Amino acid sequence: MTLTDYILIGVVLALLAISASKSRPKTKKALLIGGKQFWNVLPFFVAVFGLIGLLEVLLTPAQVQRWLGAGNGMLAPFYAAVFGGLATGPPAAVFPLGEFLLAQHATVAAVATLLIAWVAVGTVTLPAEIRFFGPRFAFSRWALAFVLSIVLGLTMGVLL
Amino acid sequence: MKKFVKSSKQNWLAWAVGVAYLVMALTRPVTAARAAVLSVQTFVELIATLVTVFVFVGLFQVWVNDAFIMRHMGEGSGLKGITLGAGLGTVLHGPLMGVFPLFRALLAKGAKLGVVIAIVSTWATKLPMIPLEIRLFGWKFALLRNGLLFASAFVMAPLMELALGKEWGPRYRARIATEIEQEAE
Repeated sequence: MTLTDYILIGVVLALLAISASKSRPKTKKALLIGGKQFWNVLPFFVAVFGLIGLLEVLLTPAQVQRWLGAGNGMLAPFYAAVFGGLATGPPAAVFPLGEFLLAQHATVAAVATLLIAWVAVGTVTLPAEIRFFGPRFAFSRWALAFVLSIVLGLTMGVLL
Repeated sequence: MKKFVKSSKQNWLAWAVGVAYLVMALTRPVTAARAAVLSVQTFVELIATLVTVFVFVGLFQVWVNDAFIMRHMGEGSGLKGITLGAGLGTVLHGPLMGVFPLFRALLAKGAKLGVVIAIVSTWATKLPMIPLEIRLFGWKFALLRNGLLFASAFVMAPLMELALGKEWGPRYRARIATEIEQEAE
C-alpha cells in the first residue's frame, strides 16, 4: 500500500459518504454495479497477475541490461518498448529499475522508452482489452502506444 | 455445462496461465513457486486499488448523467474534451487494465473515442510520482518526459479516430448498452 492508495481510498470513501447522504438506494445500486463488474473480470485479473509473476522470474535484470545498452544503438529503445510492454506494472516499480539501467549504461532513449511502454503499452493485458473493446480498438491502441513510446524515447535521447 | 464452456472461452487466458504454471511446477518447481509468490504479492499490493476503482465505476454509473459527458467529452467537445482526458490520465491511478471498466462506462455514456485515447496517452504520467521521477532522473528528464506525454495525447487521439473510423463509437455504444444493463440486473 502506497500513499497514493490511501489517498485514493480516502477519496472514494468520501464520495461514497456524499453519495449515501444524497440517496441511499442509488448508492446501493452503485456498489452493486461495481461489485458485479469486479466479479466478472476477477478471473482475468487473477490470470494476468499469474502471468506477471511468471515473467518476473523468467526475465532477469541482467538480461534486460544486455539488450538496452548503447551498443545496440537504435535497437535499444525498440527492445525497451518490447520489454516494457511485456512487463507492465505499477509506475513506481519502473522508476528505480530505470535509474539502475541508466547507471548500467543503458541509453537515455531506451530508459525513457521503457518508462513509457511499461505503463502505456500493455501487451500482457491485451486479451483483457480485446474483451472490453474488441480487437480493432485493442490492436490499434496497442500498436500506436508501442510506436509512441519509441518515438518519445528517441526524442528524449536526442534532446538530453 | 454450457455455462462452463462459455466462461472458459471468455477466460482462456486463465487456462493458458494455469497450464504454464503446471508445466513449470513439474519441470522447475522452485521457480514456479517463486513466480506464484510474486503474483500473489503483486495482486495483494493492487487489490485495494482495484476494489476502489470498481466502487468509483459504480458511483460514476449512477451519478454522472449522460448529458454532462456529452457536453464536456462528447463528439462535439473537440480540443477541450481531449485536454480534459489528458488531464484525467495524469491523476487516475493503477494499472491500465484496472480502468478499462471506467473507459467502457465513459464510452457508453457518450464520451468520444478521442477522450478515452487522451486518457490512455497520458497514463504514463503520474502527478503523484513526479517528485520521485525528479529525484531519480533530474528535473529536465522529468519535465521533458511528462511534457511530451501530455502533448502526445493531441496526436494519438486524432490518429486513433482515424484508424477506427467515425462509425466505431456509435456501434460500440449500442453493443455495450445491453451488456451493462445485463450486469446491473
